[in-house]
Amino acid sequence: MRLGITLLFINLYSLSVAQERVDSMALKSIDEVVVTATRSPRLLGNVAIPASIISAKTLYQSGSLRLHDILSEQTGIMVVDNFGKGIQVQGLSSEYTLILLDGEPLIGRTGGVFDLSRLTIRNIVKIEIIKGPSSSLYGSEAMGGVVNIITDRAGQHKTDANLRYAKYNTVDGSFNFSRHLNKTDVQGGFNYNRSEGYSLKPNSIQQTVEPYWRSTQHVNVNHMLNEKWKMGVGYRHNNTDIKNAIAVQNGSAIVISNGFERTNEYNITPHLQHRLSPKLETTLRGYLTGYTALQELKVKETEGGYDDRFKQDFRRIENQTDWQIREQSSFNAGAGIINESVSSNRYDSLSTKRKNSIAYFFLQHEEKLNKKLIIIGGFRFDANKAYSSVWSPKAALQYRLSDNVSFNLSYGRGFKAPDFRQLYLNFTNLAAGSYSVFGAQVALQELKRMQDAQLIQETTSLLGKVAKLNPEVSGGFNAGVKFRIASGVKGSLNLFRNDLTNMILTDVIAYKKNGGQIFSYFNVNRALTQGVEVDLEKKITATITAKAGYQFLYTADKDALANIKKGSVFQRDIQSGQVYRMTIAEYGGLPNRSRHNANLKLSYEHASGIFATTRLIYRSKWGTTDLDGNGLINRSDEYAKGYVQLNASAGFSVNKKCRVMGGIDNVLNYKDIQFLPGNPGRAGYIDIQVNF
Amino acid sequence: MKSVRIFGVVLASFFLLQSCKKNDAPVDESTLYQVTVNDLSADTIVYVDGQPVLSNGQPAGAGKFTFYSLEDNAIIASADSNTLKWDLGFRGTTIITNGGTSGPGAGGAFVYTGIFTDLTAVPADSVFKIDNSPTMAITTGSNKGWYTYNGQQNLITPIPGRVLVIRTASGKYAIVEILNYYKGGVTPDPAASDNDKISKQRYYKFRYTYQDDGSKKLVDDTVL
Repeated sequence: MRLGITLLFINLYSLSVAQERVDSMALKSIDEVVVTATRSPRLLGNVAIPASIISAKTLYQSGSLRLHDILSEQTGIMVVDNFGKGIQVQGLSSEYTLILLDGEPLIGRTGGVFDLSRLTIRNIVKIEIIKGPSSSLYGSEAMGGVVNIITDRAGQHKTDANLRYAKYNTVDGSFNFSRHLNKTDVQGGFNYNRSEGYSLKPNSIQQTVEPYWRSTQHVNVNHMLNEKWKMGVGYRHNNTDIKNAIAVQNGSAIVISNGFERTNEYNITPHLQHRLSPKLETTLRGYLTGYTALQELKVKETEGGYDDRFKQDFRRIENQTDWQIREQSSFNAGAGIINESVSSNRYDSLSTKRKNSIAYFFLQHEEKLNKKLIIIGGFRFDANKAYSSVWSPKAALQYRLSDNVSFNLSYGRGFKAPDFRQLYLNFTNLAAGSYSVFGAQVALQELKRMQDAQLIQETTSLLGKVAKLNPEVSGGFNAGVKFRIASGVKGSLNLFRNDLTNMILTDVIAYKKNGGQIFSYFNVNRALTQGVEVDLEKKITATITAKAGYQFLYTADKDALANIKKGSVFQRDIQSGQVYRMTIAEYGGLPNRSRHNANLKLSYEHASGIFATTRLIYRSKWGTTDLDGNGLINRSDEYAKGYVQLNASAGFSVNKKCRVMGGIDNVLNYKDIQFLPGNPGRAGYIDIQVNF
Repeated sequence: MKSVRIFGVVLASFFLLQSCKKNDAPVDESTLYQVTVNDLSADTIVYVDGQPVLSNGQPAGAGKFTFYSLEDNAIIASADSNTLKWDLGFRGTTIITNGGTSGPGAGGAFVYTGIFTDLTAVPADSVFKIDNSPTMAITTGSNKGWYTYNGQQNLITPIPGRVLVIRTASGKYAIVEILNYYKGGVTPDPAASDNDKISKQRYYKFRYTYQDDGSKKLVDDTVL
């Protein structure tokens, strides 16, 4: 029962309907609750799709500061440094991964990448990770996986403060409080994070990571009107300032531009919940979020310079109704409307707003056929104004062989909507080859304008294929087993396969008279990712726990694969320059993917509050870029070296109110200036937490 | 079964005799020229006072083709651009042939996908294209003809397994493989400065096999 009450205040989705189920299950095994998998609370052990939870304790003991710190230590998740820290799940890149904050999607991506360093982990109670497609519940971007960050909204009296000091004058301070006042809960907090950054190349004008300042403020208020009605509102604001200095060599002279990048983000989350009967509950949620990014670079204070502005707004209203039809069957339905708009000087001008409206609904039914078999089926339909509509079905089943072994099987479709850049970009780069990129919606009119102005030399055959873009789609299949062995080892194994179609690529639609190329976007590419993930955990003694994880990943561009099979792909030997026909075995798959990813974690924890952890993370070599002109990863010099990173931390409780911890990240001091610019090498930190 | 095997032996000895016979022909009478050309400059970037000259915002050359005779293995003066003396013209990544809108000759070309050294003859059913400006026989553009351009690295790389099959100004045949686009035949490191990449580009390294007898054979009979 207490488990249920705690969750109630998380207040994400209705809980009371599932309460009976949670309670009855809780008798069998003490288990964690996950809400992201089905949009309703379920015991982790009863979820038929690959799901995992990172607890607040793990977050604290790992010494994590920003979201990417902790995710990089998870099996099968790779943090890739490109336009910020993005994650790769089941081999699908950041643009195909949905990031939720208390169930609401976060916006503001650059080049498709959501920068996870924007998110502090200080007020997080847990992070839920769902792998494989979940578009049947969440719509766009939920292809490779969903990461749901669940903040502390528990209605208890609590005030705490944290202060961290780390290498490179990194300071992170936060203050969080929560109050339970009669029928109202208030929770709020503040986080400030700054660093001087660092330079991996000595004596360079540009630092590898420039100095930055970030702050996040949030407040949540939840009020219980009566037994049947609950309401609440949350507000969060996040801003980042990054200093920028760019050196451009112009002939023999070096021109230095100075400036900054500034992002601002706000989220407002009102909701109203009504329990119609003990078995029927409905929730109305509003969501308003906005993201602005500004980048300015100037050679001299007085002159005009590079100026890039981007503003995105996202508004949504949604209703979700949960109905516990019988003890063994439950039903969820939801519908909503999204209005999205973007304005940027990358597109037209700041005054032109590009808009899209989406109307959607979803249904999900879960049926416990008998004590051993649970099946779930559902789908979502998204009708879009700016691009084609999408159906996203999902089906999953769990078969519980015994209390210690259960099998899961699921298939789902995921999609990613074409983003505003792919639809409306209107960009000409005069500095590098005077090329232009036009979004699919504006390409034809822009080209017509240029043709009328006699600027076009010739058009390519692809011009005829410029059309309304379709969402990128994936079909994901997962088959796994969760087990507990008598020796105290518990674990899971999951096989996955994702088939992606309609992937959006850019290609040349015309040439300008000055030789510049004109690009637009097309749904052309097909790819696959498949592999296996294994996780094991064993409590060695009362105080020591060992965890190990491994992911094998195979990825490929399907068209490249077909061409290799046909024998029409060649490679050039590094030494001799000889040309050879490429074989399937020599093909390295999609760039930035490591075939092997493993981790080994040991943690010690004593009841007195003393703890220590060591986490060993391995990532095998990954393809970076083509060097021999065939556009594929194949040659040994086209890979970045694999590496092992060791992180360690330890801490103790001074008294009931004060905890101290410290740690060293990258103890082995592994560095790769070219391919791991986000890794500064060995870095220590010390952290104090006070609970008032 | 037995008869098949006997037939095989007979066939083999027949070929042996044939090849013995041809081996007697003097090798120096070969009409095939196999040549590697290094650092053929092709409208390299013009510098004034250490600064690259810009055209439409990008570093540019003088805009002139470098003409080349495959038959003579020599650069041909620009003044002879309207003659049959040259077979190929190079300007930046554009390669023209002496025919169509590019020259008075019988030249043409197509891009063949395969291995240069595997070609023993110009494929019999091959269709030669003629330059028809702006559409060239050797397709221009990244990943369309002989090279790819990596915009992030700002580097041009010849696509492995692309052979330019050429009909020369006088209607003879040759095959060309572009090996490199940078000075000294070495592509700069991706991490090299833009200045390095710009100043060293537009220097072709290529190899070719030229058949002087007008046939489509690309190996000496002796080798067959």
